[in-house]
Amino acid sequence: MILNSVEVMFGGQAGDGSLTTGDLIAGVFKRMGLEVYTYKDFPSRIRGGHTNYVIRAGVSRDYGMADAVDVLVAFDLEAVEAHIEEMRPGGFVVFDNSSEAIPEHVRRADVQWYEIPLARIAKDELGLELVRNTISLGVLAALLGMDPAIVRADVAAVYQRKGDKVVDLNLRAIEAGELYVRQHFGQQPSGYGLIASDDGDRLIMMGNDAIAYGALVAGCRFMAGYPITPATDILEWMSKELPKFGGAAVQAEDELAAITMTLGAAFAGARAMTATSGPGQSLMTEAIGLAGTLEIPVVVVECARAGPSTGMPTKTEQSNLNTLIYGGHGEIPRCVIAPGTVSESFEFAGVAFNLAEKYQMPVFLLTEQALCQSKATLAPPDLGTVTIDRGKRIDEGAVTFGEYQRYAFTENGVSPRVIPGLEGGMHLEAGSEHNEGGVITENARNRRRMMEKRMGKLEAMVPDLPRAILHGVADADIGIIGYGANRGPIAEAVDRLSAMGIPTRFLQLRTLWPFPEDEIRAFFRGASHVFVVENNYTGQLERLIRAVVGPLGGLRSLRKYDGRPFRPIEIIEPIAHLNDVDVEVEVG
Amino acid sequence: MAIALTPKDFATATPSWWCPGCGDYGVLSALKQALAELGRLPKDVAFVSGIGCSGKISGYLHSYAFHGVHGRALPVATAVKLANRELTVIAAGGDGDGYAIGAGHFVHTVRRNPDLTYIVMDNQTYGLTKGQASPTSATGYVASVSPNGNPDAPINGLAVALAAGASFLARGFSAQPKQMVALIKAAIAHRGFSIVEVMSPCVTYNKVNTYAWFKDHVEDVTQRPDYAPNDRLAAFEALTREGDIPLGIIYENDRPTLEDGMRLPQAPIARLDLRTDDPRFASMREAFR
Repeated sequence: MILNSVEVMFGGQAGDGSLTTGDLIAGVFKRMGLEVYTYKDFPSRIRGGHTNYVIRAGVSRDYGMADAVDVLVAFDLEAVEAHIEEMRPGGFVVFDNSSEAIPEHVRRADVQWYEIPLARIAKDELGLELVRNTISLGVLAALLGMDPAIVRADVAAVYQRKGDKVVDLNLRAIEAGELYVRQHFGQQPSGYGLIASDDGDRLIMMGNDAIAYGALVAGCRFMAGYPITPATDILEWMSKELPKFGGAAVQAEDELAAITMTLGAAFAGARAMTATSGPGQSLMTEAIGLAGTLEIPVVVVECARAGPSTGMPTKTEQSNLNTLIYGGHGEIPRCVIAPGTVSESFEFAGVAFNLAEKYQMPVFLLTEQALCQSKATLAPPDLGTVTIDRGKRIDEGAVTFGEYQRYAFTENGVSPRVIPGLEGGMHLEAGSEHNEGGVITENARNRRRMMEKRMGKLEAMVPDLPRAILHGVADADIGIIGYGANRGPIAEAVDRLSAMGIPTRFLQLRTLWPFPEDEIRAFFRGASHVFVVENNYTGQLERLIRAVVGPLGGLRSLRKYDGRPFRPIEIIEPIAHLNDVDVEVEVG
Repeated sequence: MAIALTPKDFATATPSWWCPGCGDYGVLSALKQALAELGRLPKDVAFVSGIGCSGKISGYLHSYAFHGVHGRALPVATAVKLANRELTVIAAGGDGDGYAIGAGHFVHTVRRNPDLTYIVMDNQTYGLTKGQASPTSATGYVASVSPNGNPDAPINGLAVALAAGASFLARGFSAQPKQMVALIKAAIAHRGFSIVEVMSPCVTYNKVNTYAWFKDHVEDVTQRPDYAPNDRLAAFEALTREGDIPLGIIYENDRPTLEDGMRLPQAPIARLDLRTDDPRFASMREAFR
């Protein structure tokens, strides 16, 4: 019996309700005390096209996807055909056989089959085919041993706003599913079981929720954005919340407007941000250069997806790192920080604003589809730890005109910043090179000093940057470097490798620019192999390490660029083989 | 107590880069005069300009000035206004900045109708890059990149704006300073997005649309008997009729502003007291249980 560890995949056509059901089951797992991670793999269209939603539940927090799918709930044959190979031996399939049958060549013998006419039961017994999703939840509840009271309470809560009739219908659907399993498969146990423990004081949210929430708490009061997958959730959330706090959110006509509006609001003195993804990021590049040279604090959330061009809008990738660090003409100081968990997503939103205002530069909050649109359980963010540091911002009193200089040379390169409306602070902020007072000049000496002032801030800010986190066995011979959503699968791989007798450590980079050269150099000490794990074709992080840190022995690269996040086994296998150890897909 | 201001209060020490005789001088002096007459203090004026000869104007107006990237003055200005609606926000740029690279923002800013003023200095050429056809150059205009004559039809910026829902349209001529001061004052006083297009001759590269040419081609619509600037069809007729270039306040209405539509509070966003201990933040967590 496999207890308290399961990865469920709902597969069907987009728009058929698997997302709602998936969210429901994620909520039930959470309330049963399990840690949850979800991954949406849906097509870039509103209706139709194969979609799947993965819900992983286990006892370890902040893991990502498991090695394999334990339970496949297939609403059509396409879902079985697409995912049967991803299943763990011993897992089971719930298949809706109302109108299709499983061809023999697809039927794997090492998984169990529960073929149930979900749609037919929905139509015949409940009068509405749509509720087959909820019936499938009843089926899973019976097969996995989910707490019936929690299942019912959650279903009631989710459908409450649609009225009592809908709640009642869905509760009957749950019962229909449970009953079918009892009547037809009473003698076929699934091999899985869940034991409820205390939910405790925990939340479940998406990375995007956490970023938006974190930004609001940290004082963001202006957001401009242009709808783009997978970043839109942030603008949606902020549009709802900002007006309640005296702020404003604007849906711009394009990303050129979104970023320049963000600059305008920040110039005026607001804590301002935008959120986008690859194609929008490309359009924002010129104005981010302007923010760098005008020394305007802006936060840009980049929710990376598979590129180039339209690429795969709903799939994950880490192929924008070079763009964030190098994108644009000319050279500007900029900062890139990357949370690895939903909890860090909340925290880093605040960190990003403080860095932006304290050092007066654009700060990228880099996340990816596999984190920003994934839900995960977390401890409630500690609001008491959020601080607001507005740096050298002057918004009260007056400065003396003629003495005040917007771009005054200072020890750390950061100049006092007045906001419009302040007496005496009138000045020009020009994208053309300018002197301390803001007057445009092409003087060679001034240019040198201005470049040094601006770029020097990168060094000044180092003490305030999020430090990398070391996971695993501190003195292990084998190391892994990664960031962002890969934090989950790498941390799990490290735990399991170490348990297998292959001590491993993992350096989770949380600041990617200014590049954490010293942390990386230190990590290489005593390691004979260091794998750089990333989701792109060219090894952007690995090449960056080579370029910045220099020649390093034992540096290896592990890349995945099919738009899907790593499963831990994909990291474990190459490392285990290096040690001549055979591994099998693991439960959990 | 109101302080008497003069145009000098809006002067900067920065020497101008414009050619002697450039139409943009007339725009700058009319703007200073208008702001002085309206009694706006330099500290309360945010002035956002685009790129090009005309974009340099932000360096010459004593204010909180922003000289950004080509074509993006309007989104910057819109956000400055939203972030601090106590400021008088003015954007300025040329025909290339506003009607070519920034055309998208132009149309959408008109739709939004934020309470700010936009001055388009139209010289029908690209001056700073030494004389190419601009979006307002006439078809057949011979220039360095159109040696056989400009193949494109000129854009009628004000007519485009009218179609997009403009709430204030005016046109001036930089050789007629008195009218320009009045137009800019009316535009700033207007509640909503006010556009003042100024015929601002380029004395160096545009040898067709010269001061003399304009003098022969402009017509003050307000001199017409029974011209009503609240009549949208009449305004469209005036803007699109072949022949003379209409000057004056061509159209005006008082539709709701962006700030109205967003129910933006009066308190400037830029000056909000940011507190992390707002009890609402803690209760928000409940939605994620």
